[in-house]
Amino acid sequence: MAIEKILFPSRFRELAYESLETLFPLKNAGLKEVVFCHVISREDVGFVPYGGYLKEEANKLREEAVIRFADWQKSLSERGIGSKVIVNVGETVHEILKAAEAEKVDLLVIGRKKRVDGPATFIGSYAHKIITRSKFPTLVSKYMVQYNDQDATLTKINRAPFEMPLFAADWTERSGRVLDVIASLKGVIRKVFLFYNIDERTLEKSAESEIDLIRENIAEKLQDYCDRLKARGIEAEPHIGAGGMLDEMIRVSRERKASMIIVGNTSKDRLLSNILDRSLSYQVSKVSELPTLLVP
Amino acid sequence: MHADLGEILPLWSTLPFVGMLLSIALFPLFAPKFWHNHFGKTSAFWTLMAVVPFTILYKGQAVYEFLHIVLADYVPFVILLSALYTVSGNILFRGTLVGTPVVNTGILIIGTVLASWMGTTGAAMLLIRPFLRANSHRKNRTFMVVFFIFLVANVGGSLTPLGDPPLFLGFLRGVPFFWTFELLPQMIFVVFILLVMYFIIDSYFYRKEGIRAASENVDKEPLRIDGLHNLLFLAGIVGAVLMSGVLHWGEITILGVHRATVDVARDAMLIFMAVLSLLTTRKEIREDNEFTWYPMQEVAILFIGIFLTMMPCLKILQAGEKGELALLIRAVSEPFHYFWMTGLLSSFLDNAPTYLTFLSSLLGKFYPGVEAREAVVLLIEEHGIYLKAISAGAVFFGANTYIGNAPNFMVRSIAEETGTPMPSFFGFMIKYSIPVLIPVFALITFVFYW
Repeated sequence: MAIEKILFPSRFRELAYESLETLFPLKNAGLKEVVFCHVISREDVGFVPYGGYLKEEANKLREEAVIRFADWQKSLSERGIGSKVIVNVGETVHEILKAAEAEKVDLLVIGRKKRVDGPATFIGSYAHKIITRSKFPTLVSKYMVQYNDQDATLTKINRAPFEMPLFAADWTERSGRVLDVIASLKGVIRKVFLFYNIDERTLEKSAESEIDLIRENIAEKLQDYCDRLKARGIEAEPHIGAGGMLDEMIRVSRERKASMIIVGNTSKDRLLSNILDRSLSYQVSKVSELPTLLVP
Repeated sequence: MHADLGEILPLWSTLPFVGMLLSIALFPLFAPKFWHNHFGKTSAFWTLMAVVPFTILYKGQAVYEFLHIVLADYVPFVILLSALYTVSGNILFRGTLVGTPVVNTGILIIGTVLASWMGTTGAAMLLIRPFLRANSHRKNRTFMVVFFIFLVANVGGSLTPLGDPPLFLGFLRGVPFFWTFELLPQMIFVVFILLVMYFIIDSYFYRKEGIRAASENVDKEPLRIDGLHNLLFLAGIVGAVLMSGVLHWGEITILGVHRATVDVARDAMLIFMAVLSLLTTRKEIREDNEFTWYPMQEVAILFIGIFLTMMPCLKILQAGEKGELALLIRAVSEPFHYFWMTGLLSSFLDNAPTYLTFLSSLLGKFYPGVEAREAVVLLIEEHGIYLKAISAGAVFFGANTYIGNAPNFMVRSIAEETGTPMPSFFGFMIKYSIPVLIPVFALITFVFYW
């Protein structure tokens, strides 16, 4: 499955263009078109009490968006990537998902591009709502972020998110689909870190000899994934973690200097995320300083 | 003790109410962007202008009156509107309708019938998008939306207290639930004339546009209604309101204000129906319905201002000829006076406070000093035609302008957003309401009130 068409919603916040630039390398992996989407909140222009609709204001905001996108479209065109602009009035999340559906995109890129304003939570309410409902591969883009590592506050710029992704595998059919996505990014990816974590419960419940067996079994499966990727021309490296899944994934991603984390996003994940904010995909998106690609 | 207040209140105490209503009438027209961003502050300003001096001057009695109007009128009013809005927002018409004169007239009839049971706002929100979608291939759509506003957003709501906010306020003051069915002959009269006119105009444009074949090119999606189970909650709302008009469970005191226990139970049931509707309906249905809380927030913010600033005016009117507005009470004497006065003011001010103002003036005229609920019973028995006149005036004339009734502006907003050109404020009046509605109302006057 190649990423040929991307939906890039924008509210024209700081560093949005820089974030768009990080997608340019996908041209080498078959990217053909970027669909820009801007949603004018209905509450900004509609339902004026006893007045109706601010038609001129809506037209002005629409024109502004089109002009801003035109600049971005020019940059894409210079790189041989096509583009299209959608500006709608409505509810943001609904309109973005509607546009993704209508355009049949291969990737949806969301998230605030700059987050340097406080404790580490790299996902806003809109992004949260989208990842709980998106049926498309969704990249939570984090161009510039501030995060804490060993009591130090660091600033990170994610300029090349696709170069060295870490993929949290789980041997399901969905993992197979993620491998296909990774394989389609051959022209962009330099190396993939394949990660599997032995969780705390398994460690507590199992005897030492059993753990060795489990580890060997996992290593074998990871190696199989690595071989499958190598066969398609992508360098891959297996890593096994032990303990809390989230902490381990973040630890390995930092140690290996991964550029992105890729996780599956099941309907169960989406439900958990919606109700309890507990799904792994949501937690990774929220806590990791790296861009996160969620594959349904 | 409280009835006497109207006899001593000065005329200037009504100024914040006048300011509030003029703000609603003029700001959307002349400064819509300012109004959109600052209507809450404007409402707060007029509210403070009424509440602060009034409380300083009349202390405990003023506080009681303000609390009374909030707890007995405002809170039930907002709860009912919100419940109807929520439940109707969870029902979605899907499928392909092709806007022919017959189909359009059918939608208008359905909307008109539904309006009395799910509120003009609910019926309008339920049907306006399917109506616009059905006619997206038509060139001339403006007149369709205008007739939709006339029928579904206004006239259709005249049969029950659920239909239009003024009638619910009357119900809260003691008008029986089914009494408003007395307006049925007038409603049928207006609806019949408007539908015939609509059908003729639509048929003319349909032929002129010559696009009958377009319907065959459309990918047809079968008609269906999502969230149909919400009709149960709608029935629950009707039942709760009916219950509060029939049962008597004594009174309870909230913040020093006596309230009928059954009214409090009704409000709780309405909230429960709305919550059940939200919990049992998929979010996608609301989203596809473009449901947003914003219009309800606006109503809640504006109406707290309207109700609080209105209180001195109501008190003066209830005092009848002993109050400062004796001149008005003497001048307006015949039923058709009330029909037109309530109507004309409802055209330019919101019809809910206008209705309440004229109901109060009727009570002050015929039964000064008598407790409101008791006076309403007497009014219905002895001078029912007056109550019909103000009820019909408030509901029917709300269609005259965009500001006459809350759903008018919501329908206009949705129509413009989806690309249907709508006339300006004055364009609406000059092209549509004056030539179409005013002659119909003149006929009503001769047939029912002369």
